[in-house]
Formats: sequence, C-alpha cells, structure tokens
Amino acid sequence: MNAQIIGQMAVSGALMGLVYALIAYGFQLTFATSKSINFGQGELVMISAFFSLTLTNLGLPYWAMVPGGLLFGAIMGLVVERAGVRLALEQKSEGWILLSIIIGLFFFSAAENIWGRDDRPFPTPISADPIHILGVDVTRLELSVAVGVFAIMGLIELFKRRTLLGKAFEAVSADRDAAELMGISSTRTVMLSYGLSGSVAALAGILVSPITTVGPTMASALILKAFSVAVVAGLDSGFGVVLVGMFLGALESLASFYLGSGWREAPGLILLILALALRPNGVFGKATIRKV
Amino acid sequence: MLQVEDLHAGYGASEVLTGTTLTVKQGTLVALIGANGAGKTTTMRAISGGLKPSRGKVILDGQEVQGLDASRIARLGLAHAPEGRKVFGPLSVEDNLLLGAYSRLPRFFGYHAQAKADLDRVYDLFPRLRDRTRQSAGTLSGGEQQMLAIGRALMARPKVMLLDEPSMGLAPVIVQEVFRTIRRLKEEGITLLLVEQFAKSALEVADYAYVMEHGRIAVEGTPAELGRNERVLAAYLG
Repeated sequence: MNAQIIGQMAVSGALMGLVYALIAYGFQLTFATSKSINFGQGELVMISAFFSLTLTNLGLPYWAMVPGGLLFGAIMGLVVERAGVRLALEQKSEGWILLSIIIGLFFFSAAENIWGRDDRPFPTPISADPIHILGVDVTRLELSVAVGVFAIMGLIELFKRRTLLGKAFEAVSADRDAAELMGISSTRTVMLSYGLSGSVAALAGILVSPITTVGPTMASALILKAFSVAVVAGLDSGFGVVLVGMFLGALESLASFYLGSGWREAPGLILLILALALRPNGVFGKATIRKV
Repeated sequence: MLQVEDLHAGYGASEVLTGTTLTVKQGTLVALIGANGAGKTTTMRAISGGLKPSRGKVILDGQEVQGLDASRIARLGLAHAPEGRKVFGPLSVEDNLLLGAYSRLPRFFGYHAQAKADLDRVYDLFPRLRDRTRQSAGTLSGGEQQMLAIGRALMARPKVMLLDEPSMGLAPVIVQEVFRTIRRLKEEGITLLLVEQFAKSALEVADYAYVMEHGRIAVEGTPAELGRNERVLAAYLG
C-alpha cells in the first residue's frame, strides 16, 4: 500500500467524479427555478451521447459535433419541461416526478430501437496516452473531462452573474412571484433552466462516453451517483457538487481497488444514507424551513 | 389610468373580493384603507395578476388586463411593490434595482449603461441605497428593504404604481420617512394606489380614498369627505 498508488487512484477517481458533479449541477439548475428535477436525466445523458455518436459517424469533426450534441440536449430538456413538468407545476402537483421518469423510459426504448442494445465505442481525437504530472499518470481524455466540466459550469455561473437575463434567473430562483412583478416570465425562466440542464446532461454524456462506451444503460450507474452527490452537497451549491463529486469519485476508485470492484457502488450509497440521516439539506446546502 | 370594475377574486372556494370597483386617475394618489382581512392586499394582487380574478375587469391605460400573467401586466406598465417588500434577498441592491427595469433593458450586455439615469434618480431619492449597492438585499434593515422595493418599482417607469403596506413592521421614525417618500413620489406626478393600515397618515397624503369592508368598497370620497363621515371616523380614524 504505497502513497503513489493511492494518489493515482484518487486522482483518476476524482476526475471521473466530476461527471457526477456535472449531472448533479444539472439537477440544481432546474431545482433553483422550479423546485423540480428531471428524474429521467440519466436517459437524457444517454440519448444525447447516442445522438452525438451519430453526428460523429456522419463525418462531423469532434469540435462541430460538441455544439450539435449540446443543442440536442437543450431541445430534449425543453421537451421534458413541456411534456412532463409544466402542467404539473401549474397545478401545483408533484406529478412531474412520475412524468419525468416516464419520459426517461420513453427515451430509453427509443434509444434501444434506434441505436440497438449494444455498447459502442465513442471515437474521440483526444489521446488516451498517459502523461506524467506530479507523480501520477493521467490521460488527456481524463483531463478533458475536467476542462469540459469547469468550462460549462464557469460559463453558466458567469451568465447568471453578468447578464441581466442571468440575474432574472437568480431572481426567479429567489422569489418567483416577485420576479413576475418585475415583468420576468417565470415560465420562460423555467424553460431556460431545463434547456441549460439538458445541455449540461449532453456534455456529461459526450465527456464520459469515450471512457465508458455508449449504450442504453450507460447512465444508470452514473445517475445514481449524481443523485447521491446532489443530496450530499445540497441542491443549491454549485461549488459543493464539485467537491463532493470529486470526493466520491476518489472514494469509489479506492474502494474498488482495495476492497474489490464489487464495492465500487458502496461509498455513494453510504454517503447518501449518511447525508439523509444527518444533513438532509446537504453539507453545503442552506437550511431551509418549509413554511406552511 | 387604472380602473377596477366589479372585481371578484379569492383563494379556492372562498371568495375574498365580492365586487370591488375603484378608479385611479392619472397623477393622483389614491388610498385604499380598511380593517385587516377586508381584502386590500387581495385587491392589489388581483390587479397585478398574482391572483386571477374570477369576474370583473381591470383596465390599465385603456387596456383590459384581467387574467393576464403578472409578468405581462408588469410589462404593460404596472409596478407593484408588494406587501412584505419581497426584495430578492441573495441579489445585490443594484441587481434588485436593475431587475425593476427588466422589461425595457437589453437582456445580455449594456443594461447597466442604459439604466444609469434611472439608478441615479433612485439613489438621489434614497441616498442610503447608494452606500449599499453591492450589499445583498437580504442583509438590509426593514426600512432599507422598503426603500429598495419602492426604488425597484420606480425603475420600471410605471404608468401606475401599487404600494402595499409600505409601513408594515417598521419603526415609527422610519414610517415617517416612508410617508415623506410617498409625498415626493406624488409631487413627481406618479400615479399611485396605496394600501395602508395607518389610515390617518394615508388620508393626509391621498387625493381620494376608498374604504374596504368585507371584500367590497363601503365608503369612498376625498379625505376631507371621509373625515366628516362618522362611521369612518369611528372605525378607522379614532
């Protein structure tokens, strides 16, 4: 048991953990504006990855495929909002939970029928050869995950702070009714949040696919971990999901190395149970009191 | 400028407004007074679209707006500084003000330059906000939050402003300051509908007033007329 192996495992795991963080960040975006999340987000990750693979197979270069995939994700996010969330929210019901699961199942069958059930490799121009940094080996592919995650989260946070539309997004998150009184349409803001969340899911799919392959079930494990991260970090801290995501990723990779690969899923679930028991608002979440 | 005709509205099966009718002429300050639970705030919410009226009309500058989304009505020129102030707590004072002018500013960049004159006007009116532009609105005192809520409504350059209980929960000194502000708004020619529990102070600044009881207007008149009405005197000005 030497320090170098631990370091190596922790770094690779943490880089993968950023994918959990990114998906969890997608939950936060829609939760902020509408107090709802898309329970079919994993299928959105998967179907966007398949779509991007198709774009690549059509001969589109990687850098042209990425915006295409993000656009597709945004459109699918809007579909979920329109078909599954809006009516339920208008009636102040929790129907969005079931509806978003159902839309996810629909995406799943659609993907099986269009693309088949097999896992497929996802070609990428980014090299998988290891490079040596500070005593650990990382591949450019793993680093591209980190770059992609920080780039999109940074852009969205910049949008929220620097543009008036972004401030309006924050205003709706803070007080929906008061934002309406300023002439800000909360319906459109919720649409915007679902579009952004869809793009974020698509990027997660594009970043992780070259490492894990693409298949209808590719996101089922990812999504569970992303839920754990969102619950442990809290649904309102973008900074928190990054930390918790990296921590969980590192923990998983160490668990599977030292305890056996069967234990890989354990840390996420244990963290989830601990968080629900000890800090239901999340480690980084603000304590909220539900007023009746 | 603002006409409300036979307005009915409520929450679920219970009807709170049972036919409210009132008029606010351009450039005047109209006060709406009455006991707690008479329907004053419900009237305001039904006008600004937070609550959909079940019957009746709301006419803003010649256009019927009842039933429209609140954001739509706001874009048509109605600013509502709601009960309890409802500032955006996590956002800075300046962001709150900028959002007040949301409907006429560019959505992405250059909004600050375009709102400069309006910001200066609000800061001149409330110098204390100028010292706190970067501070998050949630950390302001109650009085400052009220100033911010009024400033935010002003930023919209509204045709009509609704002010709901601006003195609620404030210290008497601050209440005086709020009423000084309301007087200044009136001098600037802003059309105002004011809901107040402090009926006496409201009648001192108002051009015309309505007294609400049980979801409808019971008495109306100029402050002088209401001051001679024994029922009003006994119930609200005693």
